[in-house]
Formats: sequence, C-alpha cells, structure tokens
Amino acid sequence: MTALNHRMNVPMLAAVGVLEILLLVEVGIIVSKLAQGARPAALPTLVGYLIATPLVPLAAAAWGIMERTRWGPAVIAVAGLVAAILMVRLHQVWPAIHV
Amino acid sequence: MSESTTMPEPTAAPEPAAAPEPTAAPEPTVTPGPTADSTRTGPGRLLVAIYGLFALSASARAGVQIATKFSHAPVAYVLSAFAGAVYILATVTLTVGSRTARRIAVVSCSIELAGVLAVGTWSLVDPASFPDASVWSGYGSGYGFVPLVLPVFGLLWLRYWSRR
Repeated sequence: MTALNHRMNVPMLAAVGVLEILLLVEVGIIVSKLAQGARPAALPTLVGYLIATPLVPLAAAAWGIMERTRWGPAVIAVAGLVAAILMVRLHQVWPAIHV
Repeated sequence: MSESTTMPEPTAAPEPAAAPEPTAAPEPTVTPGPTADSTRTGPGRLLVAIYGLFALSASARAGVQIATKFSHAPVAYVLSAFAGAVYILATVTLTVGSRTARRIAVVSCSIELAGVLAVGTWSLVDPASFPDASVWSGYGSGYGFVPLVLPVFGLLWLRYWSRR
C-alpha cells in the first residue's frame, strides 16, 4: 500500500481487526494453559508478551489512521511483521504452546 | 398528484469550469513525495512507530533481565537499559518535533549510531563480556539489524527537516 501510494482503507482496518481477534484467541489459549497450572521457565517475560501482543494492532491502527498518506499503511505493515515476530518469540519463551 | 414536499429542481447552478474530476480511480491516491508537516507525520509516522516499538521492547526486556538475573550478564543488561532510554528520548523528541526537540533528537540518534557501532564491535571483540545479548550486540543482529539502520534513517529525516 505504501508502494502503491494508497491511504488506509476499510478492508485494511478489517484485516487488522481479524489479526487482533486471532491474537486474542492465542492469548486466551495460553492463559487457559496457565490457569491449568502449567508454568513456563520465564513467566514474567511470557506475561509481558501476553499483554503487549494484543496491543500491537490496536496501537498501529490508532497511529496509522491518523496518517492520511501512504505512510499510514506502512505502520500497519510493520505491525503485521511485529505480530509475526512476537508469535515466534512467544513459542521460544514457552515451547509448550502448540498453537 | 404532485408532492408538495419535493425539492425544486436545482436550477443548473453555473458550476465553475473546473478541471475535470479524476475519473473514478479504484482508490484515492495521495500525492507522492514528502508532504509532511511535522517530524511525526509522513515518513516520520513510520519512524516514530518503529522507535516507539524499540523504546518499549528494549526497556521492557532490560527491566525484566535486570530484575530477575542481573548478575548473569550485567554489562549487556545495563547497555540494553541505556539503549532503551535513548530510544525513549528519540521517540519523544521525534513526536514533539519542535526546533529544540529536533536538536535533542539529532543527539540521541547520534548516540544510538555510535552506541550500536561501539557495542557491536565490543561484542565481537570481547564476547566474554556478553554471555547474554544486548540490543546492540552484533550490531543489532538479534533484532534484524534494525538498531543499526534506524538511527541512519532518523538522522536523514532530521537533516531533511533542518534544511527546509
């Protein structure tokens, strides 16, 4: 979108919403594992990731929607990349997650 | 029966002979080029977002490491905390964007660039000091070398602003 010189649009925001829902589902699954008594080695780190991960699409959408140029979608693109990296890191922090 | 509520026909207001409307582009396009009106808009929007991300991740990571296992790799953790502080400063000053803030941002981006080069070299020459990685170890290789590239773009962006 940045390369195509487009602004933020509704389909893009919908995609961010879908990403947000998927991330919340993942967080829910991990929290339920924690509730069952399982504990990772690095609990504070895991909790930090669980809080930060669902905030990424929200913050990116808020920050990107303020930008009415091609750079708004660039923020969303970075957020998608960051969400993917956070997923990988979550599985490194607690390999017991099989999602 | 004619409806009395019907609006009267608009009496063909003489529209100014404006340039023809762009014929239904599939999506509204934006004029290319830097049209930003602040260091936090346009490309700066992306820059501030990435700086904010690093400010949060570097300081949160350093905070957890210092709180839970400081003695394991004190040098790396203190350097990460310092990096986090510099990222916070750069994020805030790039967001504010006033003349003074831009001057501080130049300093913090310069410290970042010097820091990532110095710590990167240090971590390669003396790996024993870095049993655990800092943000700037290996020139930021643990973070896809973004810490090495980010201050360069920050300084270029600030130079563009100082010249307009």
